[in-house]
Amino acid sequence: MSVGLPAIGGAAGSLLHPEPGSFRDPHSRVLRGREGEIYRALSAQGLADFEAVASTAFWARALEDGRVVPTELVAPADRPAELGAGWPSLLRHETIPVVSYPYEWPFGMLRDAALLQLDLLTAALEEGMVLKDSSPYNVQWRGARPIFVDVGSFAPLGAGEAWTGYRQFCMLYLYPLLLQAYKGVAPHAWLRGSLDGIAPEQMARLFDGGAKLKRGVMTHITLHARLEQRYGDRQRDVKSELREAGFSRDLVRANVRKMAKLVEGLDWEPPQGGWTEYGAGNSYTDVDTEAKGAFVRAAAAARRPSLAWDLGCNDGRYARIVAEEGARVLALDADQGPVELLYRELRAEGDERILPLVMNVTDPSPGLGWRGEERRPLELRGRPELVLCLALVHHVTITANLPMRAWVDWLAALGATLVIEFPTREDPMVQRLLAAKQQGTHADYEREAFEGCLRAAFDVERSLRLASGTRLLYLAHPRERPAAP
Amino acid sequence: MFLTNLAYLDAGSGSLIVQVLAGGAAAIAVAGRFYWRRLLSFLRIRRADEPEVAKSDAPA
Repeated sequence: MSVGLPAIGGAAGSLLHPEPGSFRDPHSRVLRGREGEIYRALSAQGLADFEAVASTAFWARALEDGRVVPTELVAPADRPAELGAGWPSLLRHETIPVVSYPYEWPFGMLRDAALLQLDLLTAALEEGMVLKDSSPYNVQWRGARPIFVDVGSFAPLGAGEAWTGYRQFCMLYLYPLLLQAYKGVAPHAWLRGSLDGIAPEQMARLFDGGAKLKRGVMTHITLHARLEQRYGDRQRDVKSELREAGFSRDLVRANVRKMAKLVEGLDWEPPQGGWTEYGAGNSYTDVDTEAKGAFVRAAAAARRPSLAWDLGCNDGRYARIVAEEGARVLALDADQGPVELLYRELRAEGDERILPLVMNVTDPSPGLGWRGEERRPLELRGRPELVLCLALVHHVTITANLPMRAWVDWLAALGATLVIEFPTREDPMVQRLLAAKQQGTHADYEREAFEGCLRAAFDVERSLRLASGTRLLYLAHPRERPAAP
Repeated sequence: MFLTNLAYLDAGSGSLIVQVLAGGAAAIAVAGRFYWRRLLSFLRIRRADEPEVAKSDAPA
């Protein structure tokens, strides 16, 4: 740590455990309490910054309308001694139900997170404050509502200071949005592979020729990359030169306002057909859909989960049913299109229970970053108590070639009650998937083999054959509960 | 005064200059002064790192 502040907690018996992803800002550290509660230790400088922001009018407004995570100062008497003298203050934050990352968000979520960040920055600038970084990892979600969680990012804006977070905003917000909006290229794999985002120079190589004429490209990509190349290895103190030249708060405000306008104007429409219309145009009969909904509702009502996962959520029909029974639901789908459409619906409804994420369950988000611990794997971000696996098993085993036993065992290891659908070999969708493979490749895709795998790891409480005859539903409970992560 | 707060993130020299060139009308005077000073410095009429710069850079 550059300013020589001591490490906090983490030892056996500690009350506070450092979050592995919180180490960059030397004046602020996120810690987790024994019950999962979230704290933030502040250095003397960090406390001075917090007191400055807490006294502003925009802070009170942002807390009231839920744009910033509810935060309180822990009374000095309640501050654990293990914090030591280097961390004189402790904040307590309201816990976010499930942490998610920008490489899991559909376009609309990344855009709305960017707009929240710019909105808070604009308000902060009005009162002489600034956000000293621009990381989308500082935004989390309560259902479809974004919440800014990095309270330690607010600091007073120094005289003549430029927007320090501009470069990071480009790399982690603007460039991924431009890739999707202008090129139709999903940025998720790139963001997952590079936690710092996409560099200006990389973008400049993609946006050459006529692409430079699109709004925002010339300034934020072409010019940005050129200037970075030109000044990258120079020793001149550009910050001081800008201050001397009269760089002002008004100029920061103008830049932020223009950036917000650019981001607001970006749009992406999921391609028509395929999974975006699956919910409306698949081979189910209305009777099947109704029976399936009733099956899911009964399972949710009996289990009363606080957290459920809907794997392969598509239009979110069944995630909604589980949410209606009081659960928070992680709605996952590998295809960004339906996740984007679901997010738009949930946002319009003001939903705070269903978190839609782009995730391929046969390649779920792993641990990433420093020591593979900065960003957690999906399974370590809250265990579900109910898992829906509807109209998915044939895609996982036939398309993705995952052995049935491996898939069912992974589901069992989650330790949750399971509602799983098995489309038989005669099902039209299964026939379509099999037709794409060499004959005989999936000879073991049979009901008996599936049930054998299921019964090896689960106790099956009930099963139901849907009216169409080619789809079976099972309600099952895992034999062994896993140890807490 | 508060400059040490912002120091943990490398703002990038090129990225800072983009903000002058992208700032529109609000930036014209700043850009003019910035490049004028650079020109003077290039012509050796003015040193690049004058003492008052270093002084104002010192943490509070």
